[in-house]
Amino acid sequence: MAAKLTFSKEIANLLYAMHGNPIKDCIQCGTCSGTCPAVEFMDHSPRELIAMIGANLKDEVLHSNTYWSCASCYYCNVRCPAGIDIADLMYALKRYSMWKDQYKKDLIGPKFSESFVKMIMRTGRSFEPVLAPSYIFKYGTRGIIQEAQTASALVLKGRLPLLPKKIKRLENLKRMVRRIIPIGEPS
Amino acid sequence: MSEKVGVYICHCGTNIAKTVDVEEVALWAGEQDHVDVAREYKFMCSSLGQELIEEDIKEKGLTKIVVASCSPHMHEKTFRTACVRGGLNPFMFEMANIREHDSWTTDDREAATLKAKALTKAAIERVIHNQPLEPLPVEINPNTLVVGGGIAGISAALELAEAGNHVYLVEREPSIGGHMAQLDKTFPTLDCSACILTPKMVDVGQHPNITLLTYSEVEAVGGYLGNFDVTVRKKARYVDEEHCTGCGICIEKCPYKVVDNVFEAGLGARKVIYRPFPQAVPKYPVIDTENCVYFQRGKCKACQIFCPTDPNSIDFEQQDEILQIVVGNIILATGFDLFDVSQIPQYGYGRLANVFTSLEFERMVNASGPTDGKIVLRDLETPPESVVIIHCVGSRDENYHKYCSKVCCMYSLKFAHLIHERLPEAEVYNCYIDMRTPGKGYEEFYNRLLEEGTHFIRGKVAEVSDVARIEEEEGKLIVQVADTLISKQRRIPVDMVILSPAMEARNDSQEVSQLFRMGCDFDGFFVERHPKLDPVATMTEGIYIAGACQGPKDVPDTVSQGAAAAARVASFISRGTVMMEPIRASINQELCSGCRICNTMCPYNAIVFHEDSNVSEVITALCQGCGTCVAACPSGIITGAHFTNDQLLAQIEGILWDVRSNLDLVPVE
Amino acid sequence: MKQYAYYPGCSLESLAKSYHLSSIEAARELGLELKEIEDWNCCGATAYFHVDELLAYTLVARNLALAEKENLDFVAPCSGCYKNAYFTNDYLQQDPGLAEHINFALEEDNLHISGPINVRHLIEVFVEDVGFEEIKKHVSRPLKDLRVAPYYGCQLLRPKKDSEDVENPQFFEDLLSAIGSDPVEYGSKTHCCGSSLIITNREAALDMVYKLLQDAANREADVIATICPLCNVNLELYQKQVNREFGTDFSMPVMYFTQLLGLALGVEPGRLGIGKDFVSTDSMQFIMQNPQSS
Ligand SMILES: Cc1cc2nc3c(=O)[nH]c(=O)nc-3n(C[C@H](O)[C@H](O)[C@H](O)COP(=O)(O)OP(=O)(O)OC[C@H]3O[C@@H](n4cnc5c(N)ncnc54)[C@H](O)[C@@H]3O)c2cc1C
Ligand code: SF4
Ligand code: SF4
Repeated sequence: MAAKLTFSKEIANLLYAMHGNPIKDCIQCGTCSGTCPAVEFMDHSPRELIAMIGANLKDEVLHSNTYWSCASCYYCNVRCPAGIDIADLMYALKRYSMWKDQYKKDLIGPKFSESFVKMIMRTGRSFEPVLAPSYIFKYGTRGIIQEAQTASALVLKGRLPLLPKKIKRLENLKRMVRRIIPIGEPS
Repeated sequence: MSEKVGVYICHCGTNIAKTVDVEEVALWAGEQDHVDVAREYKFMCSSLGQELIEEDIKEKGLTKIVVASCSPHMHEKTFRTACVRGGLNPFMFEMANIREHDSWTTDDREAATLKAKALTKAAIERVIHNQPLEPLPVEINPNTLVVGGGIAGISAALELAEAGNHVYLVEREPSIGGHMAQLDKTFPTLDCSACILTPKMVDVGQHPNITLLTYSEVEAVGGYLGNFDVTVRKKARYVDEEHCTGCGICIEKCPYKVVDNVFEAGLGARKVIYRPFPQAVPKYPVIDTENCVYFQRGKCKACQIFCPTDPNSIDFEQQDEILQIVVGNIILATGFDLFDVSQIPQYGYGRLANVFTSLEFERMVNASGPTDGKIVLRDLETPPESVVIIHCVGSRDENYHKYCSKVCCMYSLKFAHLIHERLPEAEVYNCYIDMRTPGKGYEEFYNRLLEEGTHFIRGKVAEVSDVARIEEEEGKLIVQVADTLISKQRRIPVDMVILSPAMEARNDSQEVSQLFRMGCDFDGFFVERHPKLDPVATMTEGIYIAGACQGPKDVPDTVSQGAAAAARVASFISRGTVMMEPIRASINQELCSGCRICNTMCPYNAIVFHEDSNVSEVITALCQGCGTCVAACPSGIITGAHFTNDQLLAQIEGILWDVRSNLDLVPVE
Repeated sequence: MKQYAYYPGCSLESLAKSYHLSSIEAARELGLELKEIEDWNCCGATAYFHVDELLAYTLVARNLALAEKENLDFVAPCSGCYKNAYFTNDYLQQDPGLAEHINFALEEDNLHISGPINVRHLIEVFVEDVGFEEIKKHVSRPLKDLRVAPYYGCQLLRPKKDSEDVENPQFFEDLLSAIGSDPVEYGSKTHCCGSSLIITNREAALDMVYKLLQDAANREADVIATICPLCNVNLELYQKQVNREFGTDFSMPVMYFTQLLGLALGVEPGRLGIGKDFVSTDSMQFIMQNPQSS
């Protein structure tokens, strides 16, 4: 009988071998949490999150906003005395929660990432206005107005083209993607 | 000649028997050629196990013995002695390591049993070719060299000298004392470091059995256990030790001051002609030629002018002296360096004035230090109102040193206490990962600090900066740290930060270990022969280690190790001679072509060339049995005793016994 | 003219147009040609790595393969693109399995990576290939008395590659000195601007931007110099919003290092995209009107 895969093992397996030491090596020193510029906006600090993974608290981890608040500044990485690639762990958790379709509902991050990926499949490049609908409605009326003002000012200053650029060999790019994930048609 | 081999397979309790089917191995061994008797036994090293061997030799007339058990490091000697008691030459014995090399490496019982057979078979095949050899007696020169005059070297030297043995103590700096001389109080009892150290330093200086060579370094080491030839360079002090009375007038009159980066850790100054500290042993000053105006520009000579002795003790023409000494044993006690904290830029040392190292703080709190014991900021005036002490700076950290430095938790607590004592109003914070206070009276010391009101924050400090975000932070050092016990990122504004850096191996430990032909570990600390059972000896006979050069340790541990090393040396000295393994090379002179290839390869210069007969010869007394020449000889006519071709080829045949039988099945074309 | 395979990245086509313009101009003045990689695609930014790691590597790899075809160093002016390219290149070298998988996908565009490719950030090209002495020689309008806060941000420095100083680097300061300006020492130079949190967690990002602006303003910087479009956007475009949220009145110009370099090399401000800013650069007029010294 195959051994049951615990949540902490599952997460450990998600990290490519070349990304730092196993998260089991964490000595709970808190350097990451002390360093993190976004920690005040996280429901659990990076250190706590690592302890929670170790304790197999799957639901709590999946519903935490910690990794969606990570700015990928990699500051914790370079300081961690245990050589853990904390920022890439955050990426792994984002991917995991998106695959499982389990994440805190009011987050902008997952929706934004999803539309970003779709956009690239449509044009090969990213273009801010296409992305706006994925997050702008979370900002409330005042926020939306502000965004719109900023956008029109940008257009006036010539810093925002009105139409997205497309790459020439977009079809090749799409076929490349299908070789990596051979299921379904990219929309 | 027909050999009768006895084979003994040890269970080692369950250490071996848990993974190796010892009964099966013994049964199988009994069926091998030449094997007369094969047994398994719970503990072969016990007296009952040894008696088994002795009785079998006597009753069954065994000629060769094999024991398959642990590493020869552990018990080769035990079993050889058992053979001797049974009436055999000790070299008629062979050991197979089926523990470290087998049972401890796997859980696979089948594979482990198979490997145990191969290792045992190899030993059986080899032992058949073993020849009787006689151990070589070596006389031990009763003098001992101790390198490094910190508390480790001082303790070792005094133990030996008190027992009536002569010691050469070589110290690189102008005075002995090492790091302990720089400390103020010592934990946990808080006795004054100088008060307990200086009497010992004085004893060393005055002891008739100690030749103290300060401001000196070992340049070359030849020979081996019992007779090492050591070359020591005694650097010129430019002060004549014969006439100098140590009055210190020269120091007073020298017009030039420089920052003292060694003893005062950069916090204070000294004169260009100086004694590191008032209680220095020996008392003679030394001229720092790099900064001496006379040496640099040819003018001044104030020291000479004011020296009151007759003849004058200042000698600008003095030269380095090279001394040759012969010693029987060597104790290395070269101590440690402090980790360079500027490698961790986020802690701001060197950039933020009021970040200090622990050693700077020791000098500062020392009543005879640069601030007369006052705790002050870099301006040397303002006492801090708040201090953070940061533990584990460069220790327990993959990026610097993975190991725990063991003493810094305790001295960080000591610092907190000293601040409470001298500045009762100051707030003191200790930021630690884990509080490590094992030791007699140590945990009690921690409890005392808890009661004294130190703020303990469990978290490794992320950074120290001067970037104020709110008013309270302005003009302060801000220590940013996760307080993991309350899960909060805190920013603590303080006046002073003290870093407790790792204890690391001396920066030249690699070269020193090569000089003495012994090993350094990955971190640069000297390697002991056995981490538990022999922490003072090294893999090189006659060379011992003591103190922080072996790994981070505090004063009590250092002193114990110094004394232990001395005791080991003393026991050799009192024996007068030791029996050395007769594992030596010999050249078959009839076949030697005189090519001389081996002559230059021998690392011990043990091969001479006879011009008249055009052959080389190994001087047995100098040969260390390393085997370099055996491998190098193009005619293959150098033999290493106990490592003959016959023995080694038979051993290889033995280890491949099952492979060979499989190969036999393949028809040869 | 030394050539580079230049990978502008998506932002340089829109919000960071002036970075693009000034990079080309400054490079040309110093005898370098930034040859734009033909038909490059988005590198996936951070968002793509949130969804699928392998696909994200594939996107990056296509651009690397295009550069390899030209046999030129891959140069990115955006720290995010740079980090993605640097590490993808590195992983492809370390992991032959990954390389095989990705090369299989690249076949669809008739591309292949054998590597290794030199992946560089634009500032490295100026610092390492041109060098401070050479730059000094070309400066015709030294930015005298201009207090510039060099902002390194994150992804050029981190993750750590070798033994470089990721906490207190100095090369940006040295570059600023070489063009005659006065680099400002401030503790936040390697801290984070919030990057894409500006969209997904605006509160957090504004907090980070606020702290950066506060530190630079306290040290009396005249301008913050950036090396990444995202940093620039966060610090500049959102400065107004920071002022609203925190009750501050920052009006700190934020410029690409290439704009300052271009100015010092004597390029006319308009050609460096100056004037398209949200935070007025009027306070710097004294520099732009400096007569050229040579
Ligand atoms: C800040 C601080 C505070 C401390 N506080 C305490 C405390 O309160 N209590 C306590 O028990 N421990 C304390 N310790 C630990 C204590 O200092 C050490 O345990 C002790 O000094 C080790 O002694 P040692 O002789 O092994 O090494 P060292 O003191 O380093 O002495 C080694 C000597 O060898 C000499 N030497 C080095 N290389 C050579 C060479 N190649 N040739 C000749 N000579 C050489 C050196 O010059 C030096 O004199 C503290 C350590 C530090 C850093
Ligand atoms: S810094 Fe590293 S070791 Fe410390 S708590 Fe964070 S992940 Fe664990
Ligand atoms: S003794 Fe304490 S401070 Fe020193 S390295 Fe060990 S845990 Fe850290």
